[in-house]
Order: sequence, then structure tokens, then C-alpha cells
Amino acid sequence: MRTKLLVTSLLLASCAPAHAVDTSISGSVQTRCLITTDTNGVYGNPVPSKLSTASADGGVVPVIRYDVTLADAYLAKVTTPTSFSTSPALSDSVAWTGSTAVTKTTDVGMAGYEAAKVTYGSTTQFDLTVAGSTWFSSESTAVYGVNKSFVGGDYSAIVLAECIAK
Amino acid sequence: MKLLWIALITALVSSQAHSEYLYGITGNMAGTGHTWGMNIAPNGSQSVKVNGVFYQYTPVKNTEDSMLVHIRNKKVGGGYIFSSTDDWSGLQGGIPITKGFLIDNLPIELWGDGSIDVEGTGSVVDANVVYSYKYNNDCLTPMSDPSCSGYTDAVLAMMGAADTSVYNPLDDDLITDALETKASLESEEESEEESEEDNDRLESILSSVDNSILSANVVSQNLLMSAMTNMTTMNTYYDKKLAGGTYKETTVLDGGHLPDNAKGARAGLAQQLLHTQMVSQQYELKKDTP
Repeated sequence: MRTKLLVTSLLLASCAPAHAVDTSISGSVQTRCLITTDTNGVYGNPVPSKLSTASADGGVVPVIRYDVTLADAYLAKVTTPTSFSTSPALSDSVAWTGSTAVTKTTDVGMAGYEAAKVTYGSTTQFDLTVAGSTWFSSESTAVYGVNKSFVGGDYSAIVLAECIAK
Repeated sequence: MKLLWIALITALVSSQAHSEYLYGITGNMAGTGHTWGMNIAPNGSQSVKVNGVFYQYTPVKNTEDSMLVHIRNKKVGGGYIFSSTDDWSGLQGGIPITKGFLIDNLPIELWGDGSIDVEGTGSVVDANVVYSYKYNNDCLTPMSDPSCSGYTDAVLAMMGAADTSVYNPLDDDLITDALETKASLESEEESEEESEEDNDRLESILSSVDNSILSANVVSQNLLMSAMTNMTTMNTYYDKKLAGGTYKETTVLDGGHLPDNAKGARAGLAQQLLHTQMVSQQYELKKDTP
């Protein structure tokens, strides 16, 4: 009887008032895909109606570098411009063409990126299956009207580079 | 003994020496071919250490071909100190590949010739191989660091006019003569016809040899000590300066007139009188003497 009483006392003593505790969970996700502009592009103006980044046209091809530290986890999407971000007022239409290609890699396994790329519209998609750095060059050309001279002024356009998780 | 002194000086100087590294990168070592030497250090630089290798090239091949590309440097003594192989087998060519490697500061003395070697079908174009390195140029003056080549010669030269050439006892005619005599005596000893006189003679000759070597050592040590003493003390004497300035008279005669000292004159006169009296007494004694 005495033992039962002692056990009961201990149980009662251990039944402290209930508390509610909020335990926080925090974390951070480190980026494993970094996009860097390696070379800014420049439009050349070989003829009055044409602006082109091709070196043959006096331009500079923009180069974008993707640094991926996790293999087979990301898609690289590069979209060539379809409009000027800044330009004088233009009264006629502009015909845009563009292309994106792999220009340099850091791993032999990236040699197949170019052959495996998928192009739709002005966007080119690459499957980044190997960890490392890949350089993409993105040429673009704008032709104004039908042999119509571009209006004098400053023109700029933007290449959109995205890293999409698979 | 001389070497001991040099080592002591070296140790003292080395405790104060310090090296500050500079950094540099080479140009394209593969610019003129697919093999190259490793003469990458600037003139006068010391302790050159390679800390990075970077290369880029474009493979030219058909996709179905097998191709291995080796970028490597031989290691002095055998093997390779750096080697990187890219396996392009079954892969598309035409796209440049670039790679960089950090190297753990390996001394340039270990780096042999570099090369780009292709195994299989295909080739490499637009090759670019660059090394980064660090070095110091503290040895533009050899005495700046004991690790510099020519340091010991510079220290000896600094000792000045002292004859610091190494004394070779075997170049001494007296010693060589004695040794030759000793050798002949040894042959005589082998023939067991050595006499007491020869023993005495041999002892005398050996003694002269020992004395000559000892004397030579003493002479060379004295020269060295003299040179070192001159080196360390000359500047001290040259630089010693006495405190300058003029010590001016500070005593002033009150009134500008110094009267005669009558008391002193009297004392002096009394002394003179006493002296005269004493002198005169000599003659008086001679008069009284029979």
C-alpha cells in the first residue's frame, strides 16, 4: 500500500502543467546555378537598315556563362531579343532573328550540349547534365522595315538568360 | 673554422631576412607548338612556385572517333607532375574546352617540359596553356637572403682585402716535402730496417708536419678574424663623434683689479729667508770642521 502511494505521488508530481512550444525551423537554399554576363553585346550597323551583333557586321556577340554545381538538375534557357528595350521612336516594324550556341565548356561531357539543344521561337534550351561552367553566345539581328534606315539614336536590347530547375 | 664563421653569419642574417612573394602568369606556352619548356620565371626571381595551370583548346574530330587529349608536364626525375586527360571518344568536337587547376605551390625545379598529346583520331587547335606562379626577387642582391645563389661568395667578398682563399696544406712545399719524407720513411718501416736514429728523425718530421698544419690553421684563422674584426669595427670608429661646443670662461674678476697678496709675499719672503739661512749653515759647519 505504501509502495502504491509512493508511485502515485511520483506520478502526480511529474504531471507538471502542460506548455505549448513553437519550435522554428529555418534553412536556406544555396544556389547551384549561377548566370553571369561574360561579355556585353554591341550592335554593329553594317547597313542602314540592319543592327547585328555578329563580328562580321562590326558587332560584339554577348556571352553568358552558366555555372552549375549540381549535375542534371537545371535547364538553361536563353532568349534572344524581339524588341528594343530602348530606342528612338520607330514607325516601321523590326524583323528579329537570333541564335544561341555553346561556345566554351569546362568538361568534355558538355560537348553534346550543342547537338542536344532545343529551339523554339527565340528561345534556345540546353539541358545542363554536367556540373561545371558553360559559355553561351547569343547572336541577334534586327532589320528595320524593308531596306529602311534606322532612325539615328541609341538602341539597346536584352538577352534573357534563365536557369530553370528540372 | 672558416665555414663555422660563415655559417654563424648566415644564421644571424637569416633570422632577419624575409621574403615577400610576387605573383605572375605566363603567356600562352602552347602558342608555337604542342610542346614547351618551363622557363617561366622573370630574370633574377627566386623561389618560383607554380600555383595554377589553365588550358583551353578546341578538339577537331568526328563524333564517332576515339580521341584522348593529354595536357601534362613531365616531372624532373620521372613521371608527370601535372597531367589532365580529356576523353573525347564518341563526343562531338568543335567546341572549345577550358579548364583550370590549382596547384599546391610546387617549385619550378620540379617542372619538366609540357606538352599536349593526342591519342586516337583527331587533333587539337587553338591551344592555350597558361601557368600562374609566385616568386620573389629578393636575390637581385645576393646578400639579401642566405638562400640566394652566390650568397657565400658575396659574404666572403664583403670581408674585404683579407686573403680569404682556402689554405691547402698540401700546397705548402714544406708540408709536401715532409709528407714525401714520411712516405719514404713508411716504406723503410715496411722493410723493417728502421733504426733509432730514423725513429728520432721520423718523430721530428711528423712534429714538423703537425706544427705546419697547426701554424697554417692559426694563420688562416687570424686572417679571417682580422677581416671580420675590421668589418665590424671600422664603421664604429668612423661614426664616432665628440660632443661639440665651446667651454667659455665663466669666472669674473670683481672690480677688475687684483691686489698683491702681501700675506703671501711675507710668507714667501720668510721661506726664502729660511732657505737662505739653511744654505748658509752648510758653509758654517764646514768652517767649524777641523
